Amino acid sequence: MTPPATAAARTDALEQAPLIVGTPTDRVLNDELLDHVWNPKRGWKILFGIALAGTGLLLTGVTVTLARGIGMWGNNIPVAWAYDIINFVWWIGIGHAGTLISAILLLFQQKWRTSINRFAEAMTLFAVMQAGLFPLIHLGRPWFAFWLFPSPATLGLWPNFKSPLIWDVFAVSTYLTVSFLFWYLGLIPDLAALRDASRSKAQRIAYGIFALGWRGSARHYQHYRIGYLILAALSTPLVLSVHSIVSFDFAVSQLPGWHTTIFPPYFVAGAVFSGFAMVMTLMIPARKFLGFERVVTERHLENMAKVMLVTGLMVSYGYLMEHFIAWYSGNAYEAFVFSNRANGPYRAIYFAMLFCNVVVPQAFWWRKARTNIAWLFIASLLVNVGMWTERFIIIVTSLHRDYLPSSWGMYAPTWVDWSIFTGTLCFFSLLFLLFLRFVPAVAVTEVKELRHELAHAHAGGKEAAH
Amino acid sequence: MKTLPILGQSRQPEGACSERPLWRSLEELERGASRAGGEFPPGAAEPPAELSRRNFVQLLGASAALAGLAACQPPRDKIIPQVRSPRGGLPGQAYHYATALALDGYATGLVVTSHEGRPTKVEGNPAHPASLGASGAFEQAALLDLYDPLRLEGFRRRGQALAWRTLLAEISKLAAAHDADGGARLRFLLAPDASPLQADLRRRVQARFPAVRFHFFAPLAEDSAREGSRIAFGRVLDARPRLDQAAAILSLDADFLAGPGESLRLTRDFARRREPGASMNRLYVAEPSLTITGGAADHRFRMKGSEVLGFARAVAGLVGAVPASPGDPAPTRQAKAVADDLLRNRGRSLVLAGPRQPAAVHALAHAMNAALGNAGATVVYTAPVLPEAPAGPAVLEALARDVEAGQVDTLVVTAWNPVYAAPAGLDLGAALSKVPNAIYLAAREDETSRRASWVLAASHPFECWGDGRSRDGTVALQQPLTAPLRESTSAVDLLAAFVDQGDKGAYQHLKTFWKGRAGADLDLLWDRWLQQGVVPGTAEPAVQAPVRADAVLAAVRAAPAPAPGLEAAFAPDSRVLDGRFAGNAWLQELADPVTKITWDNAACLSPATAKRLGLENGRRVSLALRGRTVEAAVWIVPGHADDSVTLPLGYGRAVEGPIGRGVGFDAYRLRHAAAPWFDAGLALAPATGTHAFATTQGHFTMEGRPLALDFTAAEWKRSAHELEEQRGTSDTIQEPVDYSKQDYKWGMAIDLSRCTGCSACVVACQEENNIPVVGKEQVAKGRIMQWIRVDRYFAGKPEEPEVISQPVACVHCEAAPCEYVCPVNATVHSDEGLNEMVYNRCVGTRYCSNNCPYKVRRFNFFEYRGRLAPTEKMLMNPDVTVRSRGVMEKCTYCVQRIERARIDARVAGGKIESVQSACQQACPAEAIVFGNLNDPKSRVSRLHGDARRYDLLHELGTRPRTAYLARIKNPNPDLA
Repeated sequence: MTPPATAAARTDALEQAPLIVGTPTDRVLNDELLDHVWNPKRGWKILFGIALAGTGLLLTGVTVTLARGIGMWGNNIPVAWAYDIINFVWWIGIGHAGTLISAILLLFQQKWRTSINRFAEAMTLFAVMQAGLFPLIHLGRPWFAFWLFPSPATLGLWPNFKSPLIWDVFAVSTYLTVSFLFWYLGLIPDLAALRDASRSKAQRIAYGIFALGWRGSARHYQHYRIGYLILAALSTPLVLSVHSIVSFDFAVSQLPGWHTTIFPPYFVAGAVFSGFAMVMTLMIPARKFLGFERVVTERHLENMAKVMLVTGLMVSYGYLMEHFIAWYSGNAYEAFVFSNRANGPYRAIYFAMLFCNVVVPQAFWWRKARTNIAWLFIASLLVNVGMWTERFIIIVTSLHRDYLPSSWGMYAPTWVDWSIFTGTLCFFSLLFLLFLRFVPAVAVTEVKELRHELAHAHAGGKEAAH
Repeated sequence: MKTLPILGQSRQPEGACSERPLWRSLEELERGASRAGGEFPPGAAEPPAELSRRNFVQLLGASAALAGLAACQPPRDKIIPQVRSPRGGLPGQAYHYATALALDGYATGLVVTSHEGRPTKVEGNPAHPASLGASGAFEQAALLDLYDPLRLEGFRRRGQALAWRTLLAEISKLAAAHDADGGARLRFLLAPDASPLQADLRRRVQARFPAVRFHFFAPLAEDSAREGSRIAFGRVLDARPRLDQAAAILSLDADFLAGPGESLRLTRDFARRREPGASMNRLYVAEPSLTITGGAADHRFRMKGSEVLGFARAVAGLVGAVPASPGDPAPTRQAKAVADDLLRNRGRSLVLAGPRQPAAVHALAHAMNAALGNAGATVVYTAPVLPEAPAGPAVLEALARDVEAGQVDTLVVTAWNPVYAAPAGLDLGAALSKVPNAIYLAAREDETSRRASWVLAASHPFECWGDGRSRDGTVALQQPLTAPLRESTSAVDLLAAFVDQGDKGAYQHLKTFWKGRAGADLDLLWDRWLQQGVVPGTAEPAVQAPVRADAVLAAVRAAPAPAPGLEAAFAPDSRVLDGRFAGNAWLQELADPVTKITWDNAACLSPATAKRLGLENGRRVSLALRGRTVEAAVWIVPGHADDSVTLPLGYGRAVEGPIGRGVGFDAYRLRHAAAPWFDAGLALAPATGTHAFATTQGHFTMEGRPLALDFTAAEWKRSAHELEEQRGTSDTIQEPVDYSKQDYKWGMAIDLSRCTGCSACVVACQEENNIPVVGKEQVAKGRIMQWIRVDRYFAGKPEEPEVISQPVACVHCEAAPCEYVCPVNATVHSDEGLNEMVYNRCVGTRYCSNNCPYKVRRFNFFEYRGRLAPTEKMLMNPDVTVRSRGVMEKCTYCVQRIERARIDARVAGGKIESVQSACQQACPAEAIVFGNLNDPKSRVSRLHGDARRYDLLHELGTRPRTAYLARIKNPNPDLA
């Protein structure tokens, strides 16, 4: 039974690497993929400690901000938004890969999504949590943040539905909810598997509660499949809408450099670009240390690299069109903003952005680059950096020199800005480490299904060949 | 005639019943008519249904407690008997009182707004000739000094506190000790003052002590002007320009549009002739550093301060004021053009010499005015109102010599901080500490108070009675607004103490003195004077004085030739003046009109000189002059004269509160008594390090954008139509709101032709709207809170820049970009078109600021109003919310004034006739006009229809309610 599956995988899709290496049995898969839950790896505690300390940095930054005010940041007039919104957009963007992999690739029946979807969904969830923090703490008076929600108050005061910030509130909260449901629904069979394999009563009870009584009956599977597909269908438009709406924060304004119709698609492409980069950044070390090489193969990484190449090209096109329209429109203010990006005081960041987002992904035209794990890891880090600098360029360089030269200014982050940013990186890592510790990082059930599917496909193919 | 209330008076003066002495807004004052009686807004006057037992006990308790408080400090003067409020007096109702404030001896008439006995706002007195209703930054900011928590309190002799009575007894004893030798060892060092009362007291002191000597000292004393007049006329006369008559003006380093004295009136007269047309004047300025006046000039000739004499001489030769000498250099093209223009405008031209220039330049100016037939037409000569004695730094040297010689036992100092302002090389502090009884009257602890044996707290001018004269001689009574907030006294009481009348009180002295002048009619006149704020008919008459041309020529010939090399040019600072406002946070945070530096002074030099010396902005340098060295940081000023370094005085204070201590560098340490304004031989050497300046503007070119538009008069005739593109309707997919049916459609017009950039509006706005001061570090971060800013742009070559100032506050767009992006509807539009900011709804997303193309919104990044001293709380305007942290704010078009006017109009059953915004009211140039655009007769409507009107960033379609009027310059075609 085992050799044909390997052969099938090998002949599949122009001799790409297989989706599952070898021919593991369900039991082997179960043992291998749940092992990291039962036997925490060495180093987990160290990493957890570092992440916890970094989360302390976040708490410090947020506490200082709440106690003293936004003045602790580098924000000023004219640059009234800076790290707060840069980080918000960056984290939201990262979140996009999860939904794309889970929902869109599911609907397109891309089998390679199976081993990485759980991972990506968790990343989405945690990234959106980081993102959601920023609009909250960036308010001058965050204790009134609930005024942004339409609440039936006796005064009859409603939010301003014309403001893109209100759309943000709806988009991001919807996104967070759907992402969570999607992730959790997919997790139920695996939680049941964990429950069944529990080694103590406490574990059994805990996983039992979260498994919601899953017994793996055919009826369960039927409902599960339908629910999963419905959620996939629901979240598919979200992939496009959330970052489109985030881009409206800028596109709807009248600021040169923000007021651009290309922003919605360009932001979505950038989001997917950065999301895949982040999945890669997380997956490459996790795959090695948690022993997922069998199910997260070169093929997966290569596919992700291809997506990055495509979205990277879209982003590059966005840059090109922005500059072209700035020139073509004849609008002097807009033309200035774009020339200022390349010639102004922040040009180093601008060229770093171009290098990371435009030049680096070009390497993925070559298969060698797509399959070189070390290069993939470096490239994914660079793209993450590049997408952060892109948001910096969009937000800071547009604001710091706008219409009236008299009010031009400069922006420099403070230690609080850095604390909060690195703090969210650490908090994100903390959540991710907790996820790796307590929950299967690979959708075991789906991988098992995939194995069966692959085996059947191979068997069918062999019969047809005869 | 307009009348103002008299503090504490509940009775209407006789004969004034029909005149209605109480008025409640300056608009009423302007109208001079009264319709509203003691009425108040609907609903506000309903008495409580009954006085409940609980209320009664509360009131009883409060009265008892307050009565006890009053017993702690019995008032020395009865000035606030607010136990019974004035007739028609209501809590919450602002009252306005006329008073006066003297700066460098010259009084400016003011109207001060008072809320429940707390003065909260300073305005100019329209009836006063030096104010004409306008007020400058210094006058406005003086109010902050009143509430300064660091003011001195009480009286100390060698560190030991004295009660008021004890103090008087001790001074009496001290004075008696001087009786023996006729006061030969008694000296007074006074600030030059035009107060008739103080002059009288000085006479009485002199009568008691025939040998007493009064010295006068002011760091910015205009000694050379007096000397120049003495040369030209043989006696001291004040030249009083009449700019309303002048068509061609040559300023020889005279910054007449700024500073204390008459600048408010001169600015108004000057600005009124800046509209294009036949009456437009033309201003030539020859000066070393770029000043407000230089920025307003049509032609500016930059030259070292010592070179102005040569230029003046060339022009004087060409206009025939003095005969040319054989050795004179050939006149330059510029001098020829200026002389031709002056000659063309015989009798309508004017030559002004600045107080920094030597006597010979002043004498030349007098000679030129005489030769051009301007005397009596565009300039009148009057007897000086200040004492004629010299008051420059040399006075201190002479005094110190006397002290060293042991000739002084008692020295009474009321001049401001002479130890700090003493010339370089003179250790006046050491001399002062050798005087057995050095009595120093000071408002704040300073360098002098450290060395004086007696330190007496000085009352603020708004706390004590007095009088003063403006430059034209008009007397204004200084009416207190409040009892002294701290135990303190005034120069009047102190002088009176030396004739054993210190306990009489300034009010009695004042009244007695004026009774002697006015006779029995005083009681009737007194009230009228207080109500109007001026004593009519006290202006000095113009005198005819022939110029002695030979003496002028001799003086000019005797004047030294300019020395080559780097020249130090000392200058009064635009914010702290001579240093007396160093503790005033409003002025420290006010950007310099030219450099836009806050919280600092800088050694200013020209781009070429900086390049030659290899300096850049902020570079620390060591300045050496006559063997003394001061370290300063440089700032490159376009248009500055080459080889000249301007050193603004008044900074680098060693003994000051936290506001002023250690700010900037102390230029007095280089200023020599022999050369108080220009000194050759300055050595400049780069020092280590750079200094971080906090500026409110970092970029001074317009980048070719149509922002602050200006045209020359000739261009304007050709290309007035170009402005059509910058105004009118713009295409929009949104149906514009129709405001024409509303009663009011508020709007503003700012005339760039008139604006000089003096920044009085900025301080007025800060005062009116409770705007916090944020400090240097926050300014440097770009978080200044001022709602109105004066943008300054330079165009052309950095050596000879075109300068234009543009005040920018919220322009109240009809299609406001800030409004639709606010997620919580915290900034919305009123039905009269105001772009309103709802502070208590604001959550602080700052999106509105990002989307504001004019960047006029200000965010409370911190709790800038965190810890207010009790006195600082008294400063707050109760009609304006004090904003908390995390809230956006911006110009409201003074909505509180609109609402106040609306209430008054409703009570009177009419419509609002006029409202003035705080910036408009302060503006001496009448450049800012606010009003109702739906009233076709209003001034603002006319200006909105002016040919020069344009909208800032018109193409964005924001439809701003503030319109700008393009600046027109009137250059001489001969110099094109």
